[in-house]
Formats: sequence, structure tokens, C-alpha cells
Amino acid sequence: MSAETAASRNAGAPRQGKGWALLGSELSVLFRRLRTWAMLTALAAVPILIAVAVKLSSRPTTPGRGPLFLDRITQNGLFVAVTALVVCVPLFLPLTVGVVAGDTIAGEANLGTLRYLLLAPAGRIRLLLVKYAGAVAFCCAATATVTASGALAGVVLFPVGPVTLLSGDTISVGESAWRSLLIAAYITVSLLGLSAIGLLISTFTDVPVGAMAATIVFSVVSQVLDNLPQLEWLHPWLFSHHWLGFADLLRQPVSWTSFGDNAILQAGYIAVCGALAYAKFSNKDVLS
Amino acid sequence: MWWSVALARTKQRWLPALVIPFALAMAVLFGSVQAGATVSLPPRTADEILAMIARTEVRALSGTVQQTAELGLPEVPTAGPGIAPGAASALELLTGSHTARVYVDGPLKARLQIMDRMAERDVVLNGGDAWFYNSADNSATHLTAPAPSVADVRESLPAKPGPDAPSDMPVREIPTPESMASHFLAAIDDSTEVSVGESSSVAGRSAYRLSLHPRSTETLVDSIAIDVDSETGVPLGVEVRAKGQAEPAYSLAFTELDLSTPDAALFEFTPPPGATVTETAVPAKPVPTMPAPEDAPTLRHPVITGAGWDSVIALPAGSAPAELTSNPQLSQALQPVAGGRAVTTSLMSVLILDDGRVYAGMVPLERLQSAAAQ
Repeated sequence: MSAETAASRNAGAPRQGKGWALLGSELSVLFRRLRTWAMLTALAAVPILIAVAVKLSSRPTTPGRGPLFLDRITQNGLFVAVTALVVCVPLFLPLTVGVVAGDTIAGEANLGTLRYLLLAPAGRIRLLLVKYAGAVAFCCAATATVTASGALAGVVLFPVGPVTLLSGDTISVGESAWRSLLIAAYITVSLLGLSAIGLLISTFTDVPVGAMAATIVFSVVSQVLDNLPQLEWLHPWLFSHHWLGFADLLRQPVSWTSFGDNAILQAGYIAVCGALAYAKFSNKDVLS
Repeated sequence: MWWSVALARTKQRWLPALVIPFALAMAVLFGSVQAGATVSLPPRTADEILAMIARTEVRALSGTVQQTAELGLPEVPTAGPGIAPGAASALELLTGSHTARVYVDGPLKARLQIMDRMAERDVVLNGGDAWFYNSADNSATHLTAPAPSVADVRESLPAKPGPDAPSDMPVREIPTPESMASHFLAAIDDSTEVSVGESSSVAGRSAYRLSLHPRSTETLVDSIAIDVDSETGVPLGVEVRAKGQAEPAYSLAFTELDLSTPDAALFEFTPPPGATVTETAVPAKPVPTMPAPEDAPTLRHPVITGAGWDSVIALPAGSAPAELTSNPQLSQALQPVAGGRAVTTSLMSVLILDDGRVYAGMVPLERLQSAAAQ
């Protein structure tokens, strides 16, 4: 008995290390991929395109038309990042996150490398966690890319000054940087539920393209349902319901309600999809 | 035997997939049951609760209010292609659901923030200044009431002591459950039956529920419930039910409430750079909500017939403002009836005759028509 516990304890230490090593290799594989960089570049191009288009157009933008704050970019470059995030949240960010999350397990299965990953005594739960952590890292990188590229494009092309909030109050440049970081964090949290759905779908198939497409379809369907007033009872349960709620961070004082609601909702999706993904993946016959 | 072991392991692995969603569902169910649970409070009579409201010492608060209106008016689209967020008219505030943050400090300072989707409408009141800001089109309107002169203050001293008398009007106009409740409570007379309902929990505070039932059968109003904080006597929520409608026709209640004094900087408003600012001086009493149609006061004295809940307000010919019929959103709500047009909601009806007479009341349309025929 004691020998057995000793043996398992001995096995524990290297397994612990193995998890971190696995995470390290997962991240390095993810961020060394050409596809990842292509997606991040495309995301970085969105705010640059917006900024250049506004700079080149001679027509003054009318307030209240186009995405949020589009009319204020010419007065204050710091709005480029916010406008770009508004544009990216419904489609571009879910698209890229869907590609990464859908690829997690199905991609390895398709390449035939899943078997070798499972040969190592790392365990399937750990592999699943590491794969999810990789998807989360991509969510962070994606929102950070849009925010940083937007801030850069705004600072280069437009004057920078105190920022007007939705409430009509103005805040200093330093505080606006802090609010931009908060918004990036909010959107990263918003994408966690979708990543968990992608991971779940990815355990069901060996065709990564199918898992990616299904994940993206889920995000579109959820947003369509969120716009149907007949399904109002369903709205608070849709993972995309709070996606545009980051506007609450641009009020004075900051309204934290939607941040909290969003975090709880996404945690629920992570728990349910994670449990289902674990059940499916631990019973999966890995043949390739 | 190996297959039974394998089956047992499979079952074991699916177990978390069943347990976790089940546990979450239970947590959600338990949470919603607890939110609707009744609170046990020492019993009070209706008169004691009315006295509590009158005695309340709360002068400053910050909170979030939720307003829901199910009046049966056509819903004004607030989202969708081609519609700027928050640009809809005042009529839009009477349909659907709205969330707003309210900050009140004393009788002179208040701020209302209507939180639209990706936009915000603000009302800032500070003494004689009133600011309206709409983030959707980045426009600000500044209303200045003439500063109350010393004579004014002295004149009003015998009636209402304190400097709050001349300008405490605007703060009362901020739609909080408190101001709503005071409208209804001021109207309590013999035509109303006041009773105490089951105590409830509003914004995390235990509250007594005061029920007002009209004795009249003519009115559209079924009942009005006012939730009163058991500690401070502040009205926390108002709910108006219409006859023959399951959901409340109108409700306004705090979802969060903090009774500490809000930050003074909230009441200092300077229009942001780039905003279009309109300056308006108000000669007499500032009325920040809708401009009342009382332009020519000599001709148009409203006549009130009936008493209590089923009273009908009649405005003589020429009272109907022209913009009522020219505004597309308003004309959408108007339906043609014999001799004019009418707005019927679940709580009140308005009849605009072709000769310009206007009849309104919390009664069915037929009663307005019979009043007009007299």
C-alpha cells in the first residue's frame, strides 16, 4: 500500500512537469504556425483599414451612423481601437477563435499525432486542458492584437487627447489606456465560451475543417437568435448575449454588471462543454 | 467479464458530463426560487407604511432602476439596420424595457443615465442647470433656470422652508420609484382602497408591499403595488397592473441600491469637445421632460370630469399640437376612430378629435367617446 502511494507520488512530480512542458510545446506549435500569424495579421489589419479609410475620406462622418465612435476618430485617435473591436466582435474574432478551437483535438487526430501525444503518460484530461489553454492564449493574443494595432494606427494618424465616454464625461489619456485594456479583457472573456464549444466539437470528429465550421456556425446562430425578439426568454442563455456589453466599460462610473454576468455565463459554458468534452474524449477510440 | 468493467468505466467517464450540467441547472433553479422568496417582516398597517414613506430621511442614493412597459403600444425598433442607437423618440421610453442608473444628492442634484445598447442618454441636474446629453449623436442641451433670487426664496419660506423650494421641481422629475410612488400616493383618496400585501425582496432589501386598488370599475387600472424599504421607508419599486393583462403594464424598480452619497463630480457636467451644444433658457419653471401642450393659456384650460381613477381630462378645441399628427412615430400609434384618432394603451386612452379637442384618462376609449359626445 505504502509502496504504491510512494510510486504514485513519485510519478506525480514528473507528470506535473510534463503538463507544463506540454503546454509550452502546444503554445510554441500554435504560435509558430503560419496560419496563426496570418489570422493575427488579418485582425491587425482591421483597425489600420478603418483608420486609413477615415483619414483618406474627405466627407465628415455623421454622428450616429456606422459603428460606434466612428465619427470621433478624426478628433481622437484613441477611438480607433474601440471602433475596430466593435467591428471585429461579431465576425472576425469568432472566426479566428473558431479555427483555433476547432482544430485543437481534431487537427491532431487528422494529422495522426494524437496517438503520440497520448502515448506520453500525460493523461487525456491534461491534454484537453493544455489544448484549451492554447485556445485561450490565442483569444488573448487576438484581442490584444486588435487593441494594440488600433492604438498604434490611431496615434500615428490622428491627434490624441482626452477621451469622451458614453456618459459625456471626459477622461485622461492614461485612464483611457486602462479602459482599453479592460475592454480587451472583456472580449477575451467573451470568447472563452466559444473556445470551449470549439473544443467540445473538436473531440467529436477527426476532420478539423468540420469542427472549425461548426464552431463558427454556432457563433453566428447564437447571434442571430439573440436578435429575434420572439426568443427573448432564451437570450440570457446565449453565449454571445453579452458580447457587445463592453460598452458598459465606457460609462462613467464603470458599470461592472455586464462584466460579471458575462464572466458567469462564459464560466457556465466552459463547465458544461468541458465536462462533455472530457466525457467524449476519455471514451474516444484514438485510432490515428 | 471485461465488458462490464469497460461499461462501468464508460459510465464513470460520462458521469461528470451529467453531474456538472445538472448541478448548474439546480444552482440556477435555486437562485431563481430564492430571488422570488417572500421575506418575513414585522406586520405593519397601511397607515404605518404611508407614514414611513413620508418620514423617510434618505436624501442621497445611487442605484440602478429597471423600467418595463407593456402598454400595448407599437414597439419602436431600437436596433437593426439604419437605426442609430438611442436616437428613437421619447415614445420609445414607453415601450419595452430600459435600464438606467440614478444618482441623487439632496433636492438639487440628480443624474439619470439611460443605458442604451452601446449608447447612453444622460440627464444631469445641478441647481438651476439642466444638461441633456445623447451619446448617439453627441449632442448636448443646456437648460438654465433663472437663479432663485433672495426674494423668491423668502417668499416661499413660509410654505416650504429651505432653499430647495424653487428648484426642487427638476429632481422630482427624474423617474425614480420614489417620484413615481409619490405621484400615486398624492392621489390617494376615498376612491382608492389601500392594503398591505406580502412583503418581498427588492434590490436585495426587504420591502413592505403597499397595494392600491381603485374602487371604481370604470378605470383600466387594476392595481398599483408600491414596494417600500422596511428600513428607511424609501419606495423601491412601483408596479402598475392593467385589467385583463397578466404581466404588469408598467413597472419601475431598483435592481441595485446604495444609500451613500454619490461622488460630487457626477453632477458637474461639461459638454465633451466636439459635441453640438444647444443653449436654452427657461423663463419660468423648468420642465425637463416633454414640453406640455399649453402654449396659449387663456383659451385652453383643461376640464376634468369625474373624480378619482375614472376622471377624464378634456382639452378644448385647438389643443392638439400639430406635431402630434406629423410625427411618423406618433402617427403610427394613432388609430382612426369615428370623428378623430385615438391612442389606446392598456393603462390609458387618448382621443384626439378632428376639431382639435383632446380627451384623456385612465379609462376605456368608449368612456372618452361618450364624454366627448356630451
